[in-house]
Amino acid sequence: MDSCNIVLAGVGGLGILLAAEIIGTAAVKEGYNVRVSELHGMAQRGGAVVSHVRIDEKALAPTVLEGTADAIVSLEPMEALRNIKFATPKTIVLVNTKPFKISGTKYPEVNVLLEQLRNFTKNTILIDAAALAEKAGTGITQNVVMMGALAAVKRLPMKVETLKEALRELVPTKYLNINMKAFELGYDYVKASK
Amino acid sequence: MPNLRVLLENEKGKRVLLLGNEAVARGALEAGIGVVTTYPGTPASEIGDSISAIAKDAGLYMEYSTNEIVAVETAAGAAICGVRALTAMKHVGLNVAADAVMTLAYVGVRGGHVIVTADDPQCYSSQNEQDNRYYALLSKLPCLEPSSPQEAKDMVPHAIAISEQLELPVLLRTTTRINHTRGPVTFDTLKRPNLRGEFVRDVKRFVMVPANARIQHKVLLERVERSKEISENSPYNKIVRRGRAVGIVTSGAAYNYVAEAVEFLELDAGILKLGMTHPLPELKITDFLKSYDKIVVVEELSPYLEVQIKAIAKDHSPNVEIYGKIKTVFFPFFGELSTRIVIEALAEIAGKKSPIDFKTIDEKYRQADKVLLPRPPILCPGCPHRASFHVIKTATAGKAVVPTDIGCYALGIQPPLQVGDVLICMGASIGTAGGIHKVTGSDTVAVVGDSTFFHAAMPGLANAVYNNHKVTLVVLDNLTTAMTGHQPHPGTGKTGTGKELNRILIEDVARGLGVKYVKVINPFKIKEANNILKEALKTQGPSVVVFRAPCTLLVLKERRKKGIEVEPVKITEDCNNCMACVNVTGCPALVQKEGELTVDETLCAACTLCVSVCPYNAIQGGVV
Repeated sequence: MDSCNIVLAGVGGLGILLAAEIIGTAAVKEGYNVRVSELHGMAQRGGAVVSHVRIDEKALAPTVLEGTADAIVSLEPMEALRNIKFATPKTIVLVNTKPFKISGTKYPEVNVLLEQLRNFTKNTILIDAAALAEKAGTGITQNVVMMGALAAVKRLPMKVETLKEALRELVPTKYLNINMKAFELGYDYVKASK
Repeated sequence: MPNLRVLLENEKGKRVLLLGNEAVARGALEAGIGVVTTYPGTPASEIGDSISAIAKDAGLYMEYSTNEIVAVETAAGAAICGVRALTAMKHVGLNVAADAVMTLAYVGVRGGHVIVTADDPQCYSSQNEQDNRYYALLSKLPCLEPSSPQEAKDMVPHAIAISEQLELPVLLRTTTRINHTRGPVTFDTLKRPNLRGEFVRDVKRFVMVPANARIQHKVLLERVERSKEISENSPYNKIVRRGRAVGIVTSGAAYNYVAEAVEFLELDAGILKLGMTHPLPELKITDFLKSYDKIVVVEELSPYLEVQIKAIAKDHSPNVEIYGKIKTVFFPFFGELSTRIVIEALAEIAGKKSPIDFKTIDEKYRQADKVLLPRPPILCPGCPHRASFHVIKTATAGKAVVPTDIGCYALGIQPPLQVGDVLICMGASIGTAGGIHKVTGSDTVAVVGDSTFFHAAMPGLANAVYNNHKVTLVVLDNLTTAMTGHQPHPGTGKTGTGKELNRILIEDVARGLGVKYVKVINPFKIKEANNILKEALKTQGPSVVVFRAPCTLLVLKERRKKGIEVEPVKITEDCNNCMACVNVTGCPALVQKEGELTVDETLCAACTLCVSVCPYNAIQGGVV
């Protein structure tokens, strides 16, 4: 494994930073060099949010170069498209299909967005992460559902068990079971859809 | 949330994933720093927050100071007494602190003092993107620039050593991509902080009356000479890559893009990486220039290195061609760099072709871009500022000029609220309001947050009273410093080390400054709030209205802790889908589905604003 570049996209408040930290923590646990880029402050308040994770012995820059992402994980369909510049035809795009609407605008049909996505890569996996998160116990675990889904597509160099270990460390004990379930549901969903 | 207790582990060689800011905090513990002061500001906030979380166990003193100049002064006071200190702030914070820093350079310190300035190229969360390396030139203080979380940690003890050697404070200049990047950091051992200082009187050194200042300026210049030697020998100023075709000089975050771009293009390039960028290592740079016909200087924002390197070249290597942003703009003066920008510029300079054709990607993306809608940051669902702005808009019939200020409430400019006419810097709303009213006579409502009020608005309010400016100051008091991550401030009574002391009430301050009309009201009581604001606008002279309601994020957190579920508002059958609630509030929890109004129950905080504004009483729920 030479390198692994992941782009995580979403909307402020959906838990992108936690998702990125789970991957970064797992990478360090297995001794990899890693860079995780985050955005804080005003950038976080309900706006478009993106975090990049780069696992690579030579990774220095915190951001992924356009046209070099291995996977794009998006918690929202339009945000997947907003970050599609990072994709190549080989990139796998995992998309939570639940739109996060923008007040005062007419949100396009999700299919229109997905069609555009497919101009860049045919490898798209659609996930109703909101429903799976509800099934796990609470809608706010959509981010963890998507981490489970990412673990299932085998683009990360780390073992699934290490990702779970990182998850265990990073979520409050009180919500651990719900989060583990969310992770499993995302993982199983992708495995079953293959 | 990461468990910050890992920062306390005294295990040399332990490797953990840290945010750049957490790494700086760890560096403070490894340097034996006893006093940490800060005013929160993105991208620096987590430095203070990390220290705040562990200060008690680490045995050091930490405070959220009321503003950056007070933070520098407090830390300098401790450092003058021999205690090691660190002050952290965002780039614009150094403007506030500059008065102290410029003369502190004359006075100097006895214990090491590191001043962290976190710049924000690209204005991710800032009102400007100034390049604070010029503060090093202006103050003549040494300046270090890390490129990674590891260096961000390592440079703190290094800066303390330089600071004590020269008896000068040292600037540690970071940028957002250092502060907010996580990377592996290998620990060194911890050093027990010393908190006990001693003040040794030395009037000639510490009291900057003109006669003493003239002498201390010369002392500073001698210290600059010694700092040049330190820079020449600095382990952070080094050639990290050898190559023949072109020589690249770079520093900080730019280095990361350069290193990857050079590999990507397979350039035969040498790289001189500068980690100490004031003063520059003139001899080292001269040697490097002499090895090449072509030099490229890669840096974010202003041509700080390039100008100085050109000066060095003029004396020592006049024939070398220097590429950067002065003669021809290969790199922008604005925004942040990226690997792509550096690849494209280096390819052009070196006559190479990029293996990835970015133009084709751009072309393809243009199609996708057509269906994308902008998604700017907005006020959270349940945010009390939304109610406050609604009240300001209705009470003034949208006719007042509304200078606003630094904080979440700057987001009030987004539709549909669109409140906020001038925004410059911390505390500027009340000052600009005075000038605007003086020359226009129009109703003028200055808006300021609670933390910002204590930071910089009090002198402006005193000025309004003293010079009798007929302006209304609306303080949006959400009982926290919300934008930067919910730090306490004087109005909360909580301290950085978790003590609960006396609250300073904004209304008491206003009355104490001589404001005659001062009222406090919860903005969700929109009728009363409306009447109060109208009354305030009729007052002769300045008036103050405090809109007080806690930040909804804190309310929700508290409820979650107690296991109380939010009961979202309900739309009744009286709703005729007029969408007044959506059009007035712009709350993201109110969603139209096929022409029908619905409530996104995962977002609704039951704040009651939509309940209040509905003309048909068709929304129910929530309690004010």
